[in-house]
This record gives sequence, structure tokens and C-alpha cells, in this order.
Amino acid sequence: MKTRTWILLFAALFAALCGGAFALYHGRTAGTVANIYQDGVCILSIDLSAVTGTETYTVTDEDGHENVIEVTDGRIRMVEANCPDQICVDTGWVSSSLKPIVCLPAKLVIQIESDPATEELNLDAVSG
Amino acid sequence: MKRTTKRLCYLAVLTAVALTIFVIEAQIPLIAPVPGMKLGLANIITVYAMFRLGPRDTLLILVARILLGSMFAGGFSAMLYSLAGGLMCYLAMLFLRRFLKENQIWVAGIVGALFHNVGQVLVAILMVGSWRIAFYLPFLLAVSILTGAFTGLCAQVLNRRLRRISFQG
Repeated sequence: MKTRTWILLFAALFAALCGGAFALYHGRTAGTVANIYQDGVCILSIDLSAVTGTETYTVTDEDGHENVIEVTDGRIRMVEANCPDQICVDTGWVSSSLKPIVCLPAKLVIQIESDPATEELNLDAVSG
Repeated sequence: MKRTTKRLCYLAVLTAVALTIFVIEAQIPLIAPVPGMKLGLANIITVYAMFRLGPRDTLLILVARILLGSMFAGGFSAMLYSLAGGLMCYLAMLFLRRFLKENQIWVAGIVGALFHNVGQVLVAILMVGSWRIAFYLPFLLAVSILTGAFTGLCAQVLNRRLRRISFQG
């Protein structure tokens, strides 16, 4: 293939990806329940519309990871995490079901959905 | 290429250079709040080796760099991400190298970076047990077109500058 063809191909792909990323990032869908998944299992569901004031939850695991989650006014965020990268904390407030909060070291995913996840609740791992 | 001392030395030097880049890059703090986003500068060596030395030597350099790099910076889970990404990138370039001329090496940089990210996200999905992480894929892929073009161009320049080195020993 010619070099110009490659450049056009990558430019088109880049534009499409940027558009897709923008749509994902700014899109909003209905859903007010924050499901918190640890290692793929939902350990906690918080109905954001029912929360008054500010609530914090601490999630721990056997490997020593500790994540502090804060909920207020229909939004959720990771306030504190003892992981090295702090990507989950930098994600900031989330109120859209399209954008999850992910903490890879702690294998933790916070996802806003329309219903509480059906997976079995494991309350031992959570202290409110 | 024959098994000569010269070739062994050259592979060792390239591995050391890749490792150095890898360790230094690991010290640079991430600005973007997206997991797994980085420049991937060590891939310059992989791309260069793929076009200059061939697939077998490239695999040696790549695996040695990832294993040693995880010991110096990172850890076990970082190694899994690097291995999955690195091998996906390797396979993509293995396929592409036959179609690319010497002035199109940057294409391999981009496609390699794209596949690297796909591999990493796949591992992340398996490790965390949630497909929701795929949300980050468009961000990672868009950025990897830019970073891949940069590392690919670096490899292309490297290839041009080092053309006079002979490996026939």
C-alpha cells in the first residue's frame, strides 16, 4: 500500500475512535444504582437516588487493598485507594452508566446500572 | 543470521537499551486517568528489531525485556499485561512486515500499538472479571495511534541511521 493510503486510513480510524470515545464519555443513560464489583462479583449495590447527604464505604480484600468510596447527590467517586497508580481516584465523580471507575490492582469496578446486580452479595468484604 | 558472538552482543545491547527505556518510562507519572495509557517507548526497539533482525531475534529481545522489566519495575500483574500486549503487537508486526517498505516502518508502530492495547484490555477483562473495562478501549486505541506513530517513526529513523552495521560477523 502507498504511504498516503496508510495515512488516510489511520486518520479516519483516529477520527472514528475520538468520536466514539467522546460519545462514550459524555453520554448519559438512565441508571441510578451503583454496583461495586470485586473480582467480577458484585459485593455492594448503592441506590444513588436514595442517598441523602454523603456516605462513604470502605472496601478491602485479602491482598491488603483498601478503597474508600464516597457517594453524594447522585454521584459516586473513589476518594482514596492505596494502589500505586491512583487511576481510580483520578477518574473523579461518576454519574453516567457509560463510564466505570476501575481500580485494576484491587480488581474493583464501580458501574452505574439501572438495577442492582443479581450476583450474590458478599457483605463480609464491606464495612460501611 | 548465524549464531555468532557479534549477533549475541547486538541482541544483548538492544535488550539492555529496551530495558533502560522501559524502566525510565515506568518512572514517568501518568497524566491521563485511563488505566494502561503510556508512551510505549520500549517498543521502538521491538519495531526496529523486527525489520532489521527478523522475527526470531525480536521475540528473544521482547520476552527478555518484559521478564527483566517486570522484575525492575512493575510486578507480576504488570508482567501479564506486558506479555499479552507485547505478544499481540509482535504477531501483528510479524504479519505486516512483509507488506511494508523501509520508509513505512511507522505503520508497524501504529498497528503494533493498537494490538498491544487490545491484548492488555483483554487481560484486564480476564483479571478483573468484568467486561466493563472495555469502555476504555476507544481512548486507548485513539491515543495509541499517536504514540504508535511516534515510536514507529523513531524505529524508522533508527533503522536508517544504523544501516551500516553489519551482522554477518
